[in-house]
Amino acid sequence: MPPSIHPVDLIGALRHKHLTPAIVFLTSRRACDDAMQAFERSQTTLPPARQDAIVSVFEQLVQQYPSIAEHPLMPVVQRVGVAAHHAGHLPSWKIAIEELMRQGCLDAVFATTTLAAGVDFPARTVVVTQSSVRKSRDFTDLTVGEIQQLAGRAGRRGKDLVGFAVVTPSPYIDLSVLTKGLTGQPEPIDSQFVISYPMVLNLLKAHPLDQIQAILARSFAQFQLNRRAETLESKLDQLHVQMKPYGPRVCTDWITQWQTFDHARKQKAHRVQVKRREPPELAARLHFLTPGRVVGLPKGRGIVLRQYRSKGQRSPTITVLRPGGAVTESPADAVTQVFDRTFDVAEAPVYPWVTPASLEDLARQASDLPVRMPALPILVQEEDEEGEIVQTLTDEFPCPTCPSRSACQKDHAGALRIRQDVHRHTKAIQALRTGLWHRFQNRAEVLQQFGYLTPTCHLTSEGEWARLIRIDHSLLITELIRADAFSGIEPQILAGIMATLSHDDDRPGAFPRISPGLASLLRQVRQLAESLAPHEDPPLLRADVAALAERWIGEPTLTWIGLCRTTTMAEGDIYRLLARTLEYLSQIHQLRNTHPGLADTAGKAIKNLRRGVLEELP
Amino acid sequence: MTTEELEKLLAEQPVSRLHRLARGRIHQHFRLGKRRLIETLLQHSSENRAGLESDLQALMQESPPPPPPPRRKAAPESTAPRPRQGAKPPTNQAEAEPAEPPVDLTAFLDGMGVPEPKPFVPDAWQEDALTSLATTDVIVSVPTGSGKTYVAIEATRRAIEAERTVIYTSPLKALSNTKFTEFSRLFGADRVGILTGDRQDNPQAPLLIMTTEILRNLLYDAAGGEIDVRLDTLGLVIMDESQYIADPERGVVWEETIIFCPAQAKLLLLSASIGNPQDIADWLTSIRPTPCHLIRHHRRSVPLRAGYLHPNGKLTPLFRSVGIPHGGGTPLHPEAKRLFAQYEEETLRPNR
Ligand SMILES: Nc1ncnc2c1ncn2[C@@H]1O[C@H](COP(=O)(O)OP(=O)(O)O)[C@@H](O)[C@H]1O
Repeated sequence: MPPSIHPVDLIGALRHKHLTPAIVFLTSRRACDDAMQAFERSQTTLPPARQDAIVSVFEQLVQQYPSIAEHPLMPVVQRVGVAAHHAGHLPSWKIAIEELMRQGCLDAVFATTTLAAGVDFPARTVVVTQSSVRKSRDFTDLTVGEIQQLAGRAGRRGKDLVGFAVVTPSPYIDLSVLTKGLTGQPEPIDSQFVISYPMVLNLLKAHPLDQIQAILARSFAQFQLNRRAETLESKLDQLHVQMKPYGPRVCTDWITQWQTFDHARKQKAHRVQVKRREPPELAARLHFLTPGRVVGLPKGRGIVLRQYRSKGQRSPTITVLRPGGAVTESPADAVTQVFDRTFDVAEAPVYPWVTPASLEDLARQASDLPVRMPALPILVQEEDEEGEIVQTLTDEFPCPTCPSRSACQKDHAGALRIRQDVHRHTKAIQALRTGLWHRFQNRAEVLQQFGYLTPTCHLTSEGEWARLIRIDHSLLITELIRADAFSGIEPQILAGIMATLSHDDDRPGAFPRISPGLASLLRQVRQLAESLAPHEDPPLLRADVAALAERWIGEPTLTWIGLCRTTTMAEGDIYRLLARTLEYLSQIHQLRNTHPGLADTAGKAIKNLRRGVLEELP
Repeated sequence: MTTEELEKLLAEQPVSRLHRLARGRIHQHFRLGKRRLIETLLQHSSENRAGLESDLQALMQESPPPPPPPRRKAAPESTAPRPRQGAKPPTNQAEAEPAEPPVDLTAFLDGMGVPEPKPFVPDAWQEDALTSLATTDVIVSVPTGSGKTYVAIEATRRAIEAERTVIYTSPLKALSNTKFTEFSRLFGADRVGILTGDRQDNPQAPLLIMTTEILRNLLYDAAGGEIDVRLDTLGLVIMDESQYIADPERGVVWEETIIFCPAQAKLLLLSASIGNPQDIADWLTSIRPTPCHLIRHHRRSVPLRAGYLHPNGKLTPLFRSVGIPHGGGTPLHPEAKRLFAQYEEETLRPNR
């Protein structure tokens, strides 16, 4: 048996059961074209009346879209009454096929699954031959939503009493994916919010910095993040309840105290020598230097806001809130005393590392600290004096003789687990609530660094024009403009660069040769793109693709057919490339006020670009 | 099988079997005699010989003279309806199949055709959408082909009558063009404009069509102080295919547009079926001046049925029922199941 039904037999079978017109979704453009060829070779011939109907619709369409008049597939479509419809075709051709389908002139259209939304016409029957689609490089199963979008094209209201979705197998089809898709509920959708440089500039153009967080909070992204945060918050509430029995005992922070004690005991018991990076006094202290802890420093006391180890630095550092409200950094080994006193803090992932409300609260507490506070004895293990640990344990640690010792011992493991959970949840909630805002701040920092924003987040004169470039790779484009990379260049060179910037497809193909001028500019673009890589993903920058646009814009007498002959790219792809190039150029064209010369070059490129087929659609 | 071989094989069959083979293929086959029946069958199936052959094979297996040893998945089911004659439906001890007999092909195909022309009467949900739009934002999430365009058109008509500007956005330039043509025909070319990155056709028209990116840019320009858009008269923003909000690359543009959509303009979001339209409605309610009204249903206006077409041309229902059942664990039609298993076995077997 063949791996899948022959297209002519398929349509024959559908016709026989009166299931036409049909849309047949195939895996690839290639499969659609092969199906058309099979029809071309077959004996299929429509009766004259139906052929006439097709011709008359075509003739109407040709007035609007002259490019379809000489389309090589036109005679075939007329004879066999089926057509292919995919992204490799020109938009005008696709519009013509859609119109023929709407008027009921065709028996079938072979389309690719990739762009179900682009197939905006119904039929009596939809044929599905696959359960997965190519997405970038992988094959991904169709989602329930996608399958219903495909199947949904079956059954035309007003023209059909019933619609049919017909599954016909091909290799690698998974029937269960399709049946689930037909019978199931479509998946929920999630926000895909990303913060781009132009978004930051445009937001800051219209709104002061202190309003931005509120604006971002209006996104669907934040709406969904808040929902997740709320779930975690109710879990956190439960954890706090569970934590109730484990409040302060003889010492406030008995959990950490016991943890250290326990640790020391175990070390002793197992005689394990742990290699530490820190000197033992410091290592012993580190457990206690957690957010909220009151510590003594050479220049007075303070509350720890965070403990961190920055890159390249050997010893850990703490950020401390001083009475009076100053936030300072201090090496952890400068700590002279650790007090048996901690405050609740709401941590935050950026400076000042706690939420504004929490900071305010702590500042008040820091100023009101009692003069005398119990200091915690810190057990220091001298590495070479292990034998003395046992002694030190009983001598200096309060736990062995503490009245709540047995309670602490019993509860410690459970309490620690809950405390860690509380920590994890608090961190996660913070990230959900403030993540978007931090991403915005990161972007804004980069823009400050490059001089598009002032330190107070106002647009600089550069930022004023840069915000008009609202396309992918905007940073690269504006940096190229600032580096005068485009000054005095020919329109076709500018178009070539914009084409390669806009093209993100790495499918190979044959293309015309690139001019030396464009090649050298492209090297410059590539270099800059690489240097910007930490801040913006570099584009593919294919030279061959650039050459195609260069040709079209540089040679006004070149015909569309002539251009298509210089490459193996499908005409639909060439069209899309040039349409995208047009979009990029028109953004440059907007810089009339600040960059009149460049805008003029872009204008010329646009004028040359818009001809022939590219003139047909608005 | 050559034509002669097939003809000979058909001639060997009892006439009752030929009638069952003709069912769904030949109109009023029961009036024909054996010879005519064979002729008509051959004639009628010239385009789909394989389908006829496989149906015949299936019928022959169904009641072979000496009962063969019970093979795995013997396939007594066929296109011919049998349970109605009182024959016992096949039982397969291995799996518990529902008591309901599976539908046959004739019943499956029955009822297709062209409906009587009827005067246009808007559906209740369409009316609901239009009424609600007078006071609030509306999200419509209904199956493809339900008639969302009617809502868009009628809402536009009403807004224009109230001298408000309407913006219609679509995710693809190609769709914009189709709509531009359609709306120009409906409202008159002078009342419809289209905006692209480098062109403005009739930008003073009360109905403007553009991609979502262009609208987002307009809104940014307006917020930044450039005032060449008539945002103060904007009464309605229609966003077609708004499930694009989940597009990994472009979805953010839908969010930006909705966030910055002027408060006095109503939003009409048209979407294919998605799993959580209520979330989107709740979101809109949380950021827009009026609570968003969600219109959602799964009912298809034209009922849908699912079939399985074997590569040899044989068609069977995909499910046991005429329509498409809902929910998981849906039993396949035994014939579709058998044929697909056979397909997998044959195509997946290595070194065939
Ligand atoms: N209330 C109705 N009664 C009859 N036909 C309708 C009704 N509403 C819409 N239609 C028809 O249904 C078809 C599909 O509508 P369309 O708007 O394209 O669907 P979609 O929801 O996919 O956008 C159109 O041909 C339209 O004329």
